[in-house]
Amino acid sequence: MDEAQIWWLTPLILSLLIGVICPATGSLLITQRRILLANLMAHSVLPGLVIALAIGIDPTFGGLISGLLGALVAERLNQRFKGREESSMNTVLAGFTALGVLLVPLLQTRVDLETILFGDLLAANSSDLIRTLIATSVLILLLLTRYQDLVFLGVDPDGAIAAKRPVTQIRFVAIVITALVIISAITAVGIILVIALLCAPVLMHIERSTSLRQLILKSAATGLALTSGGMTLSIAVDLPPGPVIGSLCMITLILKRI
Amino acid sequence: MSALANNRGLRASHVCFSYGSRQIIDNICLELKPGTLTALVGPNGAGKSTLIHLLQGRLQKDSGHVECSSSITVMPQRASIDWTFPITVNEMVRLGGGHREHQPEVQMAKQLLMRVGMGKLAQRRLSDLSGGQQQRVLLARALMQQTGVLLLDEPCSAIDPPTREHLLSVMREQADAGQTLLVSSHDWGTALDSYDKVIVLDNKLLAYGTPSEVREKLSDMTCMMGSNCCG
Repeated sequence: MDEAQIWWLTPLILSLLIGVICPATGSLLITQRRILLANLMAHSVLPGLVIALAIGIDPTFGGLISGLLGALVAERLNQRFKGREESSMNTVLAGFTALGVLLVPLLQTRVDLETILFGDLLAANSSDLIRTLIATSVLILLLLTRYQDLVFLGVDPDGAIAAKRPVTQIRFVAIVITALVIISAITAVGIILVIALLCAPVLMHIERSTSLRQLILKSAATGLALTSGGMTLSIAVDLPPGPVIGSLCMITLILKRI
Repeated sequence: MSALANNRGLRASHVCFSYGSRQIIDNICLELKPGTLTALVGPNGAGKSTLIHLLQGRLQKDSGHVECSSSITVMPQRASIDWTFPITVNEMVRLGGGHREHQPEVQMAKQLLMRVGMGKLAQRRLSDLSGGQQQRVLLARALMQQTGVLLLDEPCSAIDPPTREHLLSVMREQADAGQTLLVSSHDWGTALDSYDKVIVLDNKLLAYGTPSEVREKLSDMTCMMGSNCCG
């Protein structure tokens, strides 16, 4: 087969990988009640991506730094506005998104904002694949080495601190993984829709799972089905895969609850 | 239990803690001897949980000293646990141990669950249990850590009297085995007779002694504490 005939292979592999790692990461974020932070980071990567593209460096670095900066700003504000964290985090989320949108004309960058916001899976290339494989490896490493700490931190955060578990380090690594996963998922579903893949498969299983491990595996399997189904459907009806996958996540969740 | 053999109890001297301009803990001195079961009672906002966190070292004291020859375990209040987390009873108890697949710890978790009356529900999801059953699981997890000193933050809140009696009997067994236990509680009246010593706290130490001594010293305390005491 020549290259023209297998153009679909990279998008397919990428979508399957994203379908697995987004819900796996979402399982950690939801059980540690940090999903709003993940959504904030998804939006916070935008200014970094635009700057990186403007100065011609790998957008992963720009997005990673910008996403971490967003998380840091939010954590600082949360300490100042205890009990009002949702409000301060949503303000940072909107602020970073606005900054990213403003940077496009200001830096005169040739960026397709729609692709970043909603994804363009069919334009995926080998760099996207490598980026996703790195995120997958870091996530697997965290799960293999710190599984019990992640459980402790989820069920009893104060107890985990008192038991001198490396809570700060684990939270930092989780934030870095979240940023990497979000950046990896941009091509597939975009920064606006990635939250659907982080949340929906997890919500479908969280009430029945008896362990974090089981939740991660079930959610990843469901995410895999949703992304492969969404991609197939998008090709069949000639619609963009990101919004199709996002819609499919919501519809499946509603149907499962009914 | 080697931790219990080396246990020389806990001693706090002149411990103070304030939050902003409010003095939460004012010059507390107390001694918890090995093998004793002590109740820490006082009205809401008296600083019971704060004192427990100060003794454990989680909160930084403004002044004073806490001496303890062994490690300290805290059984937290219900509110600090995410009861919806996907975890079985057995896995929750084993979080108290250090090595997840270590065989002696697997056996110990099983025995502790039997002791607190949860042996048959070991594979049940934590969120499927009643409030009293969840408290039993928390106690088993705290015992799993095998420390010389165990501080329990309202272990009997929102549970029925038979469950309270059961939890207290397990605590008594631990004290008899040499562990030092401090139990924050809303117990009052004759319910205090389950304990060796009683500390009455209202930001400062109001009374310390045996249940009868404390009752005698603070006979008017019932009015201050209200009438909603368990037992």
